[in-house]
Amino acid sequence: MHPRFTRRTLVLATLAAIGVHGAAQAQSSADIAKAKAEGTVVIYSTTDQKQVSPLIKDFEALYPGIKVEYHDMNSTEVYNRFISESAVGSSADLLWTSSMDQAVKLVNDGYAQPYKLSDTSKLPDWAIWKNEAFGTTYEPIGFVYNKRLVDAAEVPKTHADFTKLLNTKAEKFKGKVTTYDPEKSGVGFMLHSQDAMTNGAGFWELAKAMGQAGVRVQSSSGTMMERIASGENLIGYNMLGAYALLRAQKDPSIGVAFPSDYTLVISRVTFIAKQAKHPAAARVWLEYVLSQRGQTVIANQADLFAIRSDVQGETTISGLQAKLGSAVKPIPIAPALLTYLDQSKRLEFLKQWNSVKAPK
Amino acid sequence: MEQREGTEMSSPTTTMPRHGRPQDDATDTASVLAAPRQSPQGRRPRLPFATPRLVVVGLLALVVLTPLLLILYQSLLSGAFFLPGATATIEPFRFIFADPDFYVAARNSIAIAVGMAAISLPLGAALAFLMVRTDMPGRRWLEPLLLVPVFISPVVLAFGYVVAMGPVGFVSIWARQLLGDVPWNIYSLLSIAIVAGLTHVPHVYLYASSALRNLGSDVEEAARISGANPFKVALHVSVPLIAPALLYAGVLMFFLGFEIFGLPLVLGDPEGHLVLTTYLYKLASKLGTPAYHLMAAVAVCIIAVTLPLVLLQRALLKHAKRYASIKGKASRQRPLMLGKWKLAAVAIVFAWLLFTVLIPLGGVTLRAFVTSWGEGVNILEVLTLDNFRQVFEDGTMVRAILNSILIGTVGGGLAVACYTAVGLVAHRKNDALVRVTDYLVMMPRAVPGLLAGLAVFWVFLFVPFLNPARSTLISVWVAYTVVWLAYGMRLIQSALLQVSPELEEAARLTGASPRRVITDVTLPLIRNGLLASWLLVFMIFEREYSTGVYLLAPGTEVIGSVLVSLMAAGAVELVAALSLINIVLVGAGLAIALRFGVKLHD
Amino acid sequence: MSHTPISNAADAAPTVLSVQGLQLAYGDNPILQGVSMNLRRGEVISLLGPSGSGKTTLLRAVAGLEQPHTGQIIIAGKPVFDSAAGLEVPAEQRNLGLVFQSYALWPHKTVFDNVAYGLKLRKVSAAETKDRVSDALRNLGLGHLADRHPHQLSGGQQQRVAIARALVYNPPVILLDEPLSNLDAKLREEARAWLRELIVRLQLSALVVTHDQGEAMAMSDRILLLNGGKIEQQGTPTEMYADPSSLFVAGFMGTNNTLKGRVEAFDDQRVGLRFGEHMLWGQARGAARATAGAEATGVVRVEHIDLADGPGPNRIPMELVTSMYLGDRWEYVLDNGHTMVRAHGRQALPAGPRWVEVPSDALWVFA
Repeated sequence: MHPRFTRRTLVLATLAAIGVHGAAQAQSSADIAKAKAEGTVVIYSTTDQKQVSPLIKDFEALYPGIKVEYHDMNSTEVYNRFISESAVGSSADLLWTSSMDQAVKLVNDGYAQPYKLSDTSKLPDWAIWKNEAFGTTYEPIGFVYNKRLVDAAEVPKTHADFTKLLNTKAEKFKGKVTTYDPEKSGVGFMLHSQDAMTNGAGFWELAKAMGQAGVRVQSSSGTMMERIASGENLIGYNMLGAYALLRAQKDPSIGVAFPSDYTLVISRVTFIAKQAKHPAAARVWLEYVLSQRGQTVIANQADLFAIRSDVQGETTISGLQAKLGSAVKPIPIAPALLTYLDQSKRLEFLKQWNSVKAPK
Repeated sequence: MEQREGTEMSSPTTTMPRHGRPQDDATDTASVLAAPRQSPQGRRPRLPFATPRLVVVGLLALVVLTPLLLILYQSLLSGAFFLPGATATIEPFRFIFADPDFYVAARNSIAIAVGMAAISLPLGAALAFLMVRTDMPGRRWLEPLLLVPVFISPVVLAFGYVVAMGPVGFVSIWARQLLGDVPWNIYSLLSIAIVAGLTHVPHVYLYASSALRNLGSDVEEAARISGANPFKVALHVSVPLIAPALLYAGVLMFFLGFEIFGLPLVLGDPEGHLVLTTYLYKLASKLGTPAYHLMAAVAVCIIAVTLPLVLLQRALLKHAKRYASIKGKASRQRPLMLGKWKLAAVAIVFAWLLFTVLIPLGGVTLRAFVTSWGEGVNILEVLTLDNFRQVFEDGTMVRAILNSILIGTVGGGLAVACYTAVGLVAHRKNDALVRVTDYLVMMPRAVPGLLAGLAVFWVFLFVPFLNPARSTLISVWVAYTVVWLAYGMRLIQSALLQVSPELEEAARLTGASPRRVITDVTLPLIRNGLLASWLLVFMIFEREYSTGVYLLAPGTEVIGSVLVSLMAAGAVELVAALSLINIVLVGAGLAIALRFGVKLHD
Repeated sequence: MSHTPISNAADAAPTVLSVQGLQLAYGDNPILQGVSMNLRRGEVISLLGPSGSGKTTLLRAVAGLEQPHTGQIIIAGKPVFDSAAGLEVPAEQRNLGLVFQSYALWPHKTVFDNVAYGLKLRKVSAAETKDRVSDALRNLGLGHLADRHPHQLSGGQQQRVAIARALVYNPPVILLDEPLSNLDAKLREEARAWLRELIVRLQLSALVVTHDQGEAMAMSDRILLLNGGKIEQQGTPTEMYADPSSLFVAGFMGTNNTLKGRVEAFDDQRVGLRFGEHMLWGQARGAARATAGAEATGVVRVEHIDLADGPGPNRIPMELVTSMYLGDRWEYVLDNGHTMVRAHGRQALPAGPRWVEVPSDALWVFA
């Protein structure tokens, strides 16, 4: 039976249960009227347009009259475009990026306007900062491996497992391990540095093992996924789970595993721009994305992970917490993320990373 | 130079006398005939240069110098120039000079540049000789094939190499089955240099073959009469005489080695081989937030190398022209008989074609039609049209394709119009304005496309009345036109040179003003040249990828920059399908060009 | 049609170049349609003719730069081309000298190296090369230019270098392709004297291509006039000029007046040409000898026409339209309504009716 079938019924059931009334309750009618007058909301995002289109369609069905102008680019471009356009006037209404540290920096630098959500009870505390930055998803980070070429027994269950695997099965994995290049990928840097903060020495052991295995670093998850699927690489570390699971549905070569000692979780951050041209529409969108209805779509149709606790399913915060228990380690949306945006700290980390990664 | 039959040349008559009398000097006819060639004294004093010319040159200067100066300015600030708190400093340079990666990248750039020149020069010259001077079979259909790599986007080519010859590429898999192991590593610096060299053979070929074609056959025949067999003729006469053209091509190769971006981006990433352009690109994310000042500093360093090279090229070109064969009679060039070497020659050419064109393009085509590939995958099981369906269902992709077509056709035409305007400034004149134009046209050549696009983006962002055009194709068009200024100019100039000055002079004498001469005589006469240039510019614009990268926004997508962005995001199926579409577009342009007999070489 | 040459000292000299029945075509286009000639040692032969006559092709075929399909070429007793035997010796082995119309000097070599190249290929020692090249250069007045490059020389100097290059290895025959056509009119006259003197002094055997009959007559011992790939007539310059065998030859070799008419009468040696209302007696050529009533063309050299005071035998009335001053003489333009005629004289004459005398021994009638 196709997994989608069960999901679809679930969605329809949930929507029926909530009813339009439930969603509308979360939004003040004044805002909605203003938003319809504005007519558009402009979003700069790093999430793939294709993934997001069910969300957009649902939003536009819910609020006819508000058109979503969605621009997807990579995180560097989102940042670039936003700050350069903001310097001359106004840019997008909302930013939605997986680059959590960049988002926090922008908010910290005053590019965001505050908004109090109508209902924050179902959202974790660390997901809202200053009422300006909001986490919208709950995405685990794990291992991705080639099912055809890696035995089930070899799939690591913890981080230490992985280090051991690389050290003991050196021949098999030489040149066949891949991970983010922290120098090229902002998300990658964030993951590795958060990993180092969480795991300490364990992370550097792992990094050293990867280095000795001749790890191939890439700048994007897509490239890594491609190389794993083809068998050029066997296993990838610190990879975005949502994307991998999506790929695994179509490609039988891809397998995904989440470590049970701790699994980092990232959340795509969104904020409303201070100079937004359509502030009301932006607020309506924000409410929608964080509403039960929006989050349901996120979990079940957008192939992301929902962060709202009252959404059912595997691809939600509750689902993950059920599966992994206390292993989940979400990265909080907080000024701590700014640490490594400091030039010297960042370069220091990179230096350490490069020296550990370089095979002796 | 054959004189007309029976012309009476022995009696020294002067101009036809009118009334049966010997004429005196300076009659009306004489002075009219003299006027177009020399500047007569006593003309009414006015502006030294015609106004339209000044306007064109002024615009040119503005368009060329603004991005360049912006880059320079940015390189001396502590942060992005539009952010408050950016102060003047040489910190950017201090940073990159203290960064070991910069030196590694510089060293790699030099290595690749040298490798490129070392590989492409001998091969290009040999190919040119085989094609132009010998009776090697299949020359007619071989020529367009030889020029294919010029018009294929390097990103597409590199991607093709990964699919074909990467660690699990289909060629590699066959090699492993045959030999037990894959004897090459497509991601090594050596491989990058080799691929770069081989894909640039056509550039050298164009120069070498043009020089060989211009070689009067009489100098070679004279050598044969003196007693030299055909091979000695080649060695002692032909090659030394095209040496200036080869030197020019060599400098060009070296210079291009500093500019290449697509190849090292795709092939250098896995093992971390950086060149200056990819180092620059990496600076966009290394510090977590884009470091424009650092990127500008690297750009200044690149330009510091490429600009002298461009100047050197110009000097070499002048020298080469002076060295050209003294007017030879245009008798038929007899090809060299290869005899038993025919097979070897064809084998060499075919081997190059296989490696440089067939393998990567085959790789791209294959990947576009499968859902997954690699070790253990049975190709026949995974054939699909799904990738194309994805492309055509995605608004961005469709827009990119349409925009590419638009910018190639309409944009290309407009670009040719601009190039013609600039070309006409230098037409039949040799004054200071021509020299200024010359240098202005050369300068964008020295800037890597990547940076040029970024600079144009900044200009469009911060010049108020240009702002609305920023997220339209206009900004991309401006960037493309500026970047390819030198190439376009050369095309137009060679078309203009075909027009004999006497045709224009005759129009002047009949009473046409200089402007009317241009519209009524010059332009109609070069119409075919203009069309040919349009086709060539179309293909070049289709192939472009780096210039649009920083201009990429909803509304300005073109295939090339979308490919770069997709590569970075790793959406490989889309890359493959889009690449194939790009190849088809360029192929269509090439087919049309050949159909209309457009000469693809100078 | 070839005439037997008048005996001279060259008669006894050996043949250095022999061409038999040479035929050459470019695809379907026939260029040479059966040409035969012999060149003796010390002789200068000019290949003369209009463009397209095949003279340059013949020269290049002898040199080995064009491929005939039928015929024989023998150089200094050695066959280099024989279609029957399937023999074709490549150009570099024919040991000929060829001076190209464009000189074809190698721009990357010095004058010395240009001339020395042929010796280098023949593996002559460096010392001997130096001697022979210096000799050749001195012979041609180029001694002081040995280290220059071609682009530093004048046209005339370049030509001399080209000649030196062709001669330095003592080929049995030297071929020259339009040697004077690159020069200005004034220089041409001086150059042809100089060239003739050089060839005679060095006792060369030369085959020269030219389109200028004056040049051919001044420089050569014999002339071969080609027309449409065939030899129309060959002979000494005097023969070619004073004794043309056809209308084409007569027309090509000099400056003529042409009078069109009909053959009307015969007499001993002469034939009567009806020209308008008059009859002119002249020398019969070709078919004019036989056919009465046939259309014929009378040809008389411009310099042979005189102006007379009144009517008389072989005189026709014409209107003098204008006199043109040529420096060494006056040329008169006369017209009778349907024919224009030119004559020479020593003084200016006013326009008006005149009588033109056509001496019968100077009038050739061709039919």
